[in-house]
Amino acid sequence: MDEYTVEIKRTDVDGKTRMQTFKVPKDKVSTVLETLLYIKGYLDQTLTFRYSCGMEICGSCGMEINGKPHMACSFVLDNFKGDKILIEPLKHFKILRDLAVDIDPFFDKYKAVKPYVIRNDDGNYQKELLQTPKQFDEYIDYSMCIKCGLCMAACPIEGSDENYLGPAPLTAAWRFIADNRDQGKKMRLEIVSGAEGASRCHFAGECTEVCPKGVNPSFAIQKLRSSMIGLEFQKLFGGK
Amino acid sequence: MDESVRNLNEGVMGWAKFYRKGWNYFAFAMHRFSGLVIVFYLYLHLFVLSHLLSGPVTYNELVKTVTFGPFDSFLVLDVLLALVIFYHGANGTRLALNEFGIGLQKNKAMFIVFEAIAMVILGVFLYYAYMFIGAS
Amino acid sequence: MENENKYGITKRPMGSISRMFQAGSGLFLIFFLGVHLYVAHIDFGHPVQFFNQVIQNLRNPWWLLFFIVFVWIITYHALNGVGNIVKDTNIGEKGRSYLNIALIVIYFATSIYGTILSIVVAGMAI
Repeated sequence: MDEYTVEIKRTDVDGKTRMQTFKVPKDKVSTVLETLLYIKGYLDQTLTFRYSCGMEICGSCGMEINGKPHMACSFVLDNFKGDKILIEPLKHFKILRDLAVDIDPFFDKYKAVKPYVIRNDDGNYQKELLQTPKQFDEYIDYSMCIKCGLCMAACPIEGSDENYLGPAPLTAAWRFIADNRDQGKKMRLEIVSGAEGASRCHFAGECTEVCPKGVNPSFAIQKLRSSMIGLEFQKLFGGK
Repeated sequence: MDESVRNLNEGVMGWAKFYRKGWNYFAFAMHRFSGLVIVFYLYLHLFVLSHLLSGPVTYNELVKTVTFGPFDSFLVLDVLLALVIFYHGANGTRLALNEFGIGLQKNKAMFIVFEAIAMVILGVFLYYAYMFIGAS
Repeated sequence: MENENKYGITKRPMGSISRMFQAGSGLFLIFFLGVHLYVAHIDFGHPVQFFNQVIQNLRNPWWLLFFIVFVWIITYHALNGVGNIVKDTNIGEKGRSYLNIALIVIYFATSIYGTILSIVVAGMAI
């Protein structure tokens, strides 16, 4: 076979879904994103999807490819055996149209953990805040997150309870707690120790599995949990 | 957001759909399922043990019916029960170690190793526990 | 931002402690259940313990204590687990507090019943 059979789950503005099949010649495309671009260019220009950089940096083109969340741009078809490709929009997100999903709720959760360096002082410095390579290594892995939302689509708890903060926001919380320049640890721990926070994770580990950038959200959540314990005991015995 | 927007949230049934989602999902879903089975058995067990109060005859009768007959097909369910208990125990050990920060980087290897060990112990256990089948 | 409230500060967060307890009790149960399965199914060569053997076991105060602790811990682990599963289905703030009350009631009912049962059975004549 010199053609891929691409099956795409399409949703129109009225919310009706249908499966549409396209035939795409193998020698014209090398990734799923290129396949989609080929379809949009030559077969059906109404196909809607979101993409930008095409090199796994912007985090726009997350979608379910053959039932698992992947970045369309980095899903190389050479490594893929078989001719049938099933493409669906990311799970656990609201579909706007076709493969484009509404990522606003995800970013709201992301903002809820205050993903920026918090300082206690006025922020006027004569020189930069220094950091040793060791301190840098503490958080650099977690700062690789590109906010693509694949982990949110893979998380089983996110699937049954949309209020759960989710792997990426919790990882962001740990990324800034682990940063030695940050002083907002207590504030963040209070947010993630809430009813929708880190204690809802059950270590299915699917987030780590699907992450295109090798971030380990389940490890970050475990770190958060062990940091939370002190705070919880403090509050349990009446401390503030 | 208007109503035309569909939510793809899978709900509880999403847990059961682990086809193609990977072994993590399978482990997670089976852990929950086996847990619920064990809770059900726990109460069944308590119910059976409550028959101890009605004296030796009733209790021994009850126990004999489900092991030697006429309802000895319960033994098949017993094997399945042992299977889910050992599965839950092995996966639970992995999760507990994860909780204490051990092995989060090598989850899959740990899952396989723990499950393999548990299944070997299960085999040994069943071999000794069911020796009476040939004897009676 | 509307999420400010939803992910706001909880008065008495217990999530992490409860997960630690769940993990710890789980590890204990591996040991308890191992001993229990060995004693009840392998050690004496019968498929099940009949009435007399159960009573004889329970007459030993150490075994009695063992089984009572077993009941208290396994009930905790079981109901906490069921609670975790139900809480993952988006039952809301109110649902959660009702669920917690229900679980505590079931917990004490089950474990106290189990304790009384084992003590009464231990006192029965063979």
